[in-house]
Amino acid sequence: MIDRRNLLKGVTAGLGATFGSSIVPDIAHAASVTPGLTGTGGLKRVIFFMQNQGFDPKTCLPTAGVGNDGSLANATLPEPIEALDPFKDRLHIINGLHGRHTSPSHSAFFGALGGYRGSDGVPPSASTIDYELSKVLPETLLPHLCIGMDSMENMKAKPTVANLSASGAGQPIFMHSNPNHLYQMLYGGISTGDIRKQHEARSGMFNRIEELAAAKGGSLPAVDAQRYSQYVDGFGDINGLRERLGSVSDHLRDFAPEVDSRYTTPVFETDWHDSLLDLGISALKSGITNTLTIGSGRGEIFGAWKGLGVEQQGHNLGHMKQPDNPIWVKIRQYNSRMLVKLMEELESVPEGSGTMMDNTLIVYTSNNADSQHTSGSNWPVMLLGNPGGAFTTGKLTQLDGKRPINALYTSILRASGVKVDRFNMSDQMAAKFDSGTGPLKEILA
Amino acid sequence: MNLIHPVLATVLMATGISARAVDAYIPGEPADGTFDSIAIEFLDSHCLDCHDDITAEADLNLLELGPVDETNAAIWKSVWAQVALREMPPKKKQAPETIERLRFADWVVGELERVMEDKGGFYAHLDPKKGNYVDHDLLFGEMPKGIKLKPTASPARIWRVTPQEHITRLNELINTEPEFDPAKPGLRSRGDFIPTNHGGELKLYFGTDRIIRWEGGTVAYATAVKSVPVVLSSDRKHGLENYPDFYSVNSAEARQIMSKAEDILKYMAYGPMSLVGFPEQITDDPKTYDQSTKPEGDLRGLPTAIVYNTNVVRPLTPVYDLMKESGYSDERLRAAVDYLFEALTFRPPNREESDDYLEITKASIEKVGKEDGVFMGLSSIFLDRDALFRPELATKGKPDLHGRVMLQDWELGLAVNHALRYIKPDDQLREAIVEGRMRTREDVEREVTRMLEDDSVRKPRVLRFFRDYFDHDLAGYICKDTAALGKTGVQQGGAHYRAMFDAAASTDRLIELILEEDEDVLRELLTTQLVVATVKDDSYFGRERTKEERAATTKEKQKAEALATAEIAEERKILTKEVNALEAEAKANKDDKQLQKTLDKKQKELKALVQEMADMKRKAGANFDTRVDRATLSGTPEYVRVSRRSFGAGSMKADRTLAVAPAGQRLGILTHPSWLVSHSDAMDNHAIHRGIWIRENLLGGGIPDVPITVDAQLPDEPQNSLRERMRVTREAYCWSCHEKMDPLGLPFEMYNHAGLYRTEELDKPVDTSGEIIDSGDSDLDGPVSNAIDMIQKLAESERVEQVFVRHAFRFWMGRNETLNDAPVLREAHRAYADGGGSMNSLIISLLTSDAFLYRSVDH
Repeated sequence: MIDRRNLLKGVTAGLGATFGSSIVPDIAHAASVTPGLTGTGGLKRVIFFMQNQGFDPKTCLPTAGVGNDGSLANATLPEPIEALDPFKDRLHIINGLHGRHTSPSHSAFFGALGGYRGSDGVPPSASTIDYELSKVLPETLLPHLCIGMDSMENMKAKPTVANLSASGAGQPIFMHSNPNHLYQMLYGGISTGDIRKQHEARSGMFNRIEELAAAKGGSLPAVDAQRYSQYVDGFGDINGLRERLGSVSDHLRDFAPEVDSRYTTPVFETDWHDSLLDLGISALKSGITNTLTIGSGRGEIFGAWKGLGVEQQGHNLGHMKQPDNPIWVKIRQYNSRMLVKLMEELESVPEGSGTMMDNTLIVYTSNNADSQHTSGSNWPVMLLGNPGGAFTTGKLTQLDGKRPINALYTSILRASGVKVDRFNMSDQMAAKFDSGTGPLKEILA
Repeated sequence: MNLIHPVLATVLMATGISARAVDAYIPGEPADGTFDSIAIEFLDSHCLDCHDDITAEADLNLLELGPVDETNAAIWKSVWAQVALREMPPKKKQAPETIERLRFADWVVGELERVMEDKGGFYAHLDPKKGNYVDHDLLFGEMPKGIKLKPTASPARIWRVTPQEHITRLNELINTEPEFDPAKPGLRSRGDFIPTNHGGELKLYFGTDRIIRWEGGTVAYATAVKSVPVVLSSDRKHGLENYPDFYSVNSAEARQIMSKAEDILKYMAYGPMSLVGFPEQITDDPKTYDQSTKPEGDLRGLPTAIVYNTNVVRPLTPVYDLMKESGYSDERLRAAVDYLFEALTFRPPNREESDDYLEITKASIEKVGKEDGVFMGLSSIFLDRDALFRPELATKGKPDLHGRVMLQDWELGLAVNHALRYIKPDDQLREAIVEGRMRTREDVEREVTRMLEDDSVRKPRVLRFFRDYFDHDLAGYICKDTAALGKTGVQQGGAHYRAMFDAAASTDRLIELILEEDEDVLRELLTTQLVVATVKDDSYFGRERTKEERAATTKEKQKAEALATAEIAEERKILTKEVNALEAEAKANKDDKQLQKTLDKKQKELKALVQEMADMKRKAGANFDTRVDRATLSGTPEYVRVSRRSFGAGSMKADRTLAVAPAGQRLGILTHPSWLVSHSDAMDNHAIHRGIWIRENLLGGGIPDVPITVDAQLPDEPQNSLRERMRVTREAYCWSCHEKMDPLGLPFEMYNHAGLYRTEELDKPVDTSGEIIDSGDSDLDGPVSNAIDMIQKLAESERVEQVFVRHAFRFWMGRNETLNDAPVLREAHRAYADGGGSMNSLIISLLTSDAFLYRSVDH
């Protein structure tokens, strides 16, 4: 018995010697706004572009010339996405993923990026892939930016809505739809005129709120003080973001878009769509953010594109067949031009031995799978970019409809260094909805 | 046999360890001792026989454990759980003395708190799921000598408001809710909680009470109206959701609160004018809008698709007064500040607070002008600490000998208010606070009794307790596999989820009806034959047909369809023959236009006839449900509290029927679809969750966390019943825990996973047997034939009643009970029992207890 006690004591001493000091890794929070300084290669930024009303495969599958191995080198892209032709070498079209478990008819809402059941009025049941990636990508001042494009009336009446992204169960992330507000948030510190005044008024107010909040935390018990400090620190984050943006204002000046009449007196909603895209691009180029989610149609089943000459708007657009439909050709072409602009702009910024685009992945798809009224049995996706050579590109992959969009998200997490076999899918659900485990081997290099 | 070596015993005595054994044990006092002085002795005496390097039962060798540190914290946590729950040492071994066990458990918790302090902390013992780790027999039975209780109190603290409380406060600013209608007490009225919408989302709606027209269907409406999702977060999980230490407010939430505050303020000032694209959208005659500015084209889903009437129904407040005039005065501005401050924090601002927000608003106005400046400046009040957290700091008053201070004035008044309500104190309570009549136990009893007795004072927190306790409101969030749901016999897709949100509201109402009687509340909840139902609930409260019945009903259905279509079928035959002949003729005479015309006409007639026949067939078959023997749920009309119109014509409806469940098939809330589906999964029942619920919420037992080495998966064998697939839990390693849950959950196999009663599973008689094992009340232990049998036994148990009281204590105190709370719990149970099972008596007892009134301020 004594021996046993002594042995216990002996172990004590040994463990004390081995683990006497903290083994918790010291996580550096390098909040740099200078591109290229964070991370060591591979995926550094990601863009999700979610067009509503479905992504009919016929609007993206090549009309001819696909090689036996799926190569797009000699493929002819269909009219809606032909603007991507110069970028075929870094394009990967994936047809045959599914989202049957997401209930995507009339939009899967948060379920599109979450890979779980979503519907109108249903709160997110878990975080979404864009948010999860924003946590693991090189840290930035604003880890995740969401922008939403809609009809002018909706963007004015409801300048922020939350339908697509979430940081957890019941925790929606709002999309910005008023470019004036977004500009003020990102570039208020270098603005002039009314925007400057608004920025200064808001700054003064937030500083004062932080002071008041801090003062009311003075007499709290220790446990509550710690919890309450998260609240006060939240204002510190808000004010800190503004201050940090202010401190790099010279740097930001090089990237901030010009506020023109499209912001203040838009003729069509597409003026604001374009402005929002410009702001998103500038946030990426300046290093303010590394994760951008674009909701064209804001995850719902409405939306308008009158600036493209599309007079019809809203729900009817979703009832139309997309292939060979001039309306949908125009909308998809508009999307494609936006994708091209994103790529060209990111290519224009050197990063490491290449450009920002070399470290960027763009995921283009729909929050509605392949069409507005759909079972989700096919969920076409286009990937653009090949950050760190992690992905196979220049090809079309036809899957058998047995792997869910969650597997795509697992793949991107893997490419970001996160070792997971599934994303937001229990083994029980996987038994029903996923024929495999882990990433899509067809898309990873 | 004394296992301690004589020499070591001498050493231990010299260090004072044995001396401590005769000291009084005071619960809550820091455990005085070290690994050497406490743990080694305990482990040696009670654990190492089975968990040393030789035997290492369950692969656990405690010789290698060592003092608590971050690397072995998980194992120490398990040791704590096993000892606290009296799972270990096993019954066949000699049990430690009660005080020895308590001291050891306290020491482990203290050490875990110490070593994990800067590593994320150790809070497991504070979690409500661990509340039962406190020995029930000690709380309600005889306390051994040597245990000295100290007067109880709750810690001084701040509570973050819940999402529900927050959105109810915001709703008060922009919406006027109807007053309580005694003729229809179930209808939502002012003071009730804000229900989730048709999809289960908690949202604040703007101006829906003035919408007189919109374009498009349900989704178009949902998109076009202005609504804001709740911003404050909460984890949706089973059990009590609102302890003060659960949540804070993060920067993203603060930013959103600020942004939405401006929307709210604009609506307070301008009403629907802040929502519309054109002023003409506000009219009592929608045609005037059509004929003036209404845009051309498809407006579905757009704000411009909505027409609001001109009847001003929102509260007109000092914010309205401030903005209806040009310019502003300090007086008007301060009135708006003070109004908002009290509306958001539930107490008037002191002069300094009023000055602060006045100054912030004036500074904003100075920068950006009145219009933007007022909204920007006033929005800062939405972020005041007391708008998001409710303080119970007890800074006034002198601590007593035990370091306790009684809450008073606003803190006490708001604590009482929060115990029952989501909206601000009513005039009487406010007056009592202001006049210094909220300072004593009697003051609290007076106000609580008054509010409990007055139905028009809505008390949604009481209902919230029952939601947290039963978890019957989760059914709509259980994602069902479409095919698996289809096999249950109920509607698939969105209709099922909406039915489940409706079911939660129905169960809420049933609970309220039982609370209105206030007699034998728990027993009634567990055994009532009453159900509150929608017209579609005849399926959910129905019985799944047996294989034989399905075949017979299918036959009957076919017969009825054939009978109803016999005549038309003949007509169809003749017409088909005629069309076939004409087609052949037309084929041979392609140029005969008259013939072609006749053929077209006859083909159209045939098509119409086919359609008519299909309709007749459908109509004749509609009375037959081949899968479900539907329940007859007739009774008196009832109403439930549903959300504002959120989904156009598809919004939730308040109409219900109070009916009696089919005889012999249901017994109380635990057998209602809302509870059953809330405790199910995508494909099947969840016997384990149900068993855990019974174990924890009725029997007061605890189940240690699942060891990380356990692969908690049932085999995927669709051909086998859940019970058969659960054979894996009966393996020795699993069964020591699963015997506490599985036999309590499997009796509910008498229902399928949509909550329908059944006698067969996979076309064989369903096995509904189970057993109550090691409940702590030997009268309860033993086999049960099904859920009804089990519930009947449980409903008669005093222990079950006491466990219910423990849960009520946790809910209203916002913390787990300790042994020091034993007198409070016993008194609360006595009040409940003496009152004939009165919930009101229980609440009054709890809210006038030291645990509720006093705060320990020795921090």
